[in-house]
Amino acid sequence: MTFPAGRPKACSAATTPEQRAAGDRVLLYVRGLGIQPARGLSLAARSLEESPASPEGAMDALERLLQEEGFSPDLLDRGGHRISSFPPMNRTVMVAEEMDRLPWRTSLVRFLRRWRRELFGGKTNG
Amino acid sequence: MAESGPIPAWRHTGSRRRLLLLLIVLIPTVISSNTMARLLPDRGSILLDTFLVAVFTTLFAWISVGFWTSIAGLVILLTKKDSYRVSRACDGLDLSIADSSARTAILIPIYNEEVNRVISGLRTTFHSVRETGSLDRFDFFLLSDTTDPDIWVEEEEAWHRFCREENAFGRVFYRKRTSNTKRKSGNVADFCRRWGKSYRYMAVFDADSIMSGETLVRLVQIMEGRPDIGILQTPPKAVNRETLIARVQQFANHVYGPLLAAGLHFWQLGDAQYCGHNALIRVEPFIRHCELPRLPGRGPLSGDILSHDYVESALMCRAGYGIWLTYDLRGSWEETPPTLIDELKRDRRWCQGNLQHTRLLFTRGFFPAHRALFINGILSYGSALLWLIFLIINSAQAISEVLFEPVYMPILRKFLPELPVWRPHWAISLLGSTTLLLFLPKFLGAFPILLADFRARLYGGKIRLFLSILLEVILSMILTPIRMVFHSLFVVSTLLGKSVGWGTQSRDDRGTRWREALRAHWWGSLLGIGWGAVVYWITPSFFWWISPITFSLAFSVPISVFTGRAAVGRLFRKAGLFLIPEEVELPPPLRALEENLSRPATFFPFPFSRKKGFLRAVVDPLVHSLHTSLLLRFRRGVPSRERARDRIVEKALAFGPDSLNRKEKTSLLRAPQHLRELHRKVWRLGDEKAAARWGLVPPEKE
Repeated sequence: MTFPAGRPKACSAATTPEQRAAGDRVLLYVRGLGIQPARGLSLAARSLEESPASPEGAMDALERLLQEEGFSPDLLDRGGHRISSFPPMNRTVMVAEEMDRLPWRTSLVRFLRRWRRELFGGKTNG
Repeated sequence: MAESGPIPAWRHTGSRRRLLLLLIVLIPTVISSNTMARLLPDRGSILLDTFLVAVFTTLFAWISVGFWTSIAGLVILLTKKDSYRVSRACDGLDLSIADSSARTAILIPIYNEEVNRVISGLRTTFHSVRETGSLDRFDFFLLSDTTDPDIWVEEEEAWHRFCREENAFGRVFYRKRTSNTKRKSGNVADFCRRWGKSYRYMAVFDADSIMSGETLVRLVQIMEGRPDIGILQTPPKAVNRETLIARVQQFANHVYGPLLAAGLHFWQLGDAQYCGHNALIRVEPFIRHCELPRLPGRGPLSGDILSHDYVESALMCRAGYGIWLTYDLRGSWEETPPTLIDELKRDRRWCQGNLQHTRLLFTRGFFPAHRALFINGILSYGSALLWLIFLIINSAQAISEVLFEPVYMPILRKFLPELPVWRPHWAISLLGSTTLLLFLPKFLGAFPILLADFRARLYGGKIRLFLSILLEVILSMILTPIRMVFHSLFVVSTLLGKSVGWGTQSRDDRGTRWREALRAHWWGSLLGIGWGAVVYWITPSFFWWISPITFSLAFSVPISVFTGRAAVGRLFRKAGLFLIPEEVELPPPLRALEENLSRPATFFPFPFSRKKGFLRAVVDPLVHSLHTSLLLRFRRGVPSRERARDRIVEKALAFGPDSLNRKEKTSLLRAPQHLRELHRKVWRLGDEKAAARWGLVPPEKE
């Protein structure tokens, strides 16, 4: 058996394009929720019961229904807390290792300073 | 680890072995350099001759180290006598970890990687560890430094799906850093600061690393038995690529790699090198001693330390812990770059990192072995420049011999002329010894396969094994000049102050397009053509000496394309050439990886690609919910930033997701309130065109 492409004419005549868009939108949303098809279809049907004139109205109705059904906008873990992708922290510190990063430059500078001091004099502790 | 404790026995042995290495490298080098000096025409300037001999000496010593390392490795593999083999610590133990507090974190740092490959690799290692029965001793961390907003969301979704499918919540974790400070080493350090205290060990992976559960358990057992070890490095085997160049690399890694690994172990013992991945690290000393500083100053040799693994090894050793190479453990794999251009891109990064080590060569407290490793790393790229200079000066000298009249009486008061003497037997013996040093280790690599393991069948049989080695030698002779000019360019550009970005490594066999190859190699081809033409025009007899270099360079574009083709690689595979054991008998973890890579995708109701992560975070209710739940901050930010985000939301609603750039998408993905607002508004869009931009209109209506 084959079905004609597109929507049945009777259905098209009974609904406005906005209402059709609203129906499509709600159906797509419940499919995206990944819930059981029967439950999803039931939610979609209930949100379209008042024949919303636009996707906005349909989505408002669906959102209300989802809240009533206990859908949380957050993903929750078994304890009812917002899901976390990492374990509780166990903090410590990592301090950068002291490295004599420019030893040749440092020693050259030190040597030149000492040499200048010894040759030309300079501040002394005494 | 107490630094003042008794000196371990391996240190004395190591010192003696290294002294031996020094002697067997230096004595032939001195003899060869002397021969080289006598071969040079006397009428060249003394400075030029001295320079040529100095470069030759460095290069000869450099290849000698590789040669003697292979010889040492061959002896170890054939005799199987090695009293310092670290895997002895787990001999006779069953496959379990007795101490429940010996917990290991498996870290997989990722940066804009192909998500399916990362998750498939994770799944493979996860299953393999589970099969050992020690899963409760291991946790897995995906540590993301991803900057692409689409991949970020894809990673989150893939992590969540994986945990649902494998019931791995609380065992497999995902962490996305906001800032990529210090790149991979910073990512690992970030883990150490947050969760390092909870683990005794951490196994660091690359995005393409695979390790079997058995190998991981064995590594932990060795560490448990040897508290003096700070890092255990496995020698990963290169697998899974199909392009010609990658298959050749895989083959070389399998045939010559074991010799080199065993040889390196012979010289280095507990002063081995950490390669940055496929290694097990003792966390506590790593936290205390291995945080890397930023190198002060400006320019490419400053800032974050790029080749961090070398420095971390040196720091770990300085703290009194050993770093050992488990050359005899199997079950550790990685993937190589699929094309020559990908390999060169990676080398560009490594070159800058290794050259940075010139600043750390004299760091107080580092062990001589690690200073030698720094020099080795620097020479990996520096030698290319030296070799290029050597060849150019040789060509210049050959040209000058033709262009300028020889001076037979350089000193007028002399009664006898100084006639140039050509000693062909000296030249031939020098060429022969250099060739021997370069190529003999390659053929020696076949001996352990033929004599010890009788595993030639896994390499296509004895004849095909030797044929493959021969072809590998030819191909490496063809590719080496191309690598030489690129590495020389990298060294020069790094020293001139040109820094390198952090690019994503290509991990598929997509190949090299002609345009791409032309863009990369045009200057190398021109150099080869120009060099060859000038030499041929002036001194045709010398041209044939230099022709292998100039031909390779001149044809670098087709070579790059040809070697980067998977079809060519498969053709060789069909002929039984460059075969590796993993291609003949796929080990269970790699078979599992293949299966995981081809897992069917889950149901996706939206009419756009599931790889459009940002779009999914806005539109797909589940992904949106997951992403916003994982964001920690739900409080409002500073007013100016909030206003900027408001404007981005308005722009997105008016012009669709494609109107946003990467920065704007990332900004929204970090702001859960704005993302929720956008989600609500997008789903309520009445205008069909606007809704279609967000994938909310069924395809037949678009």
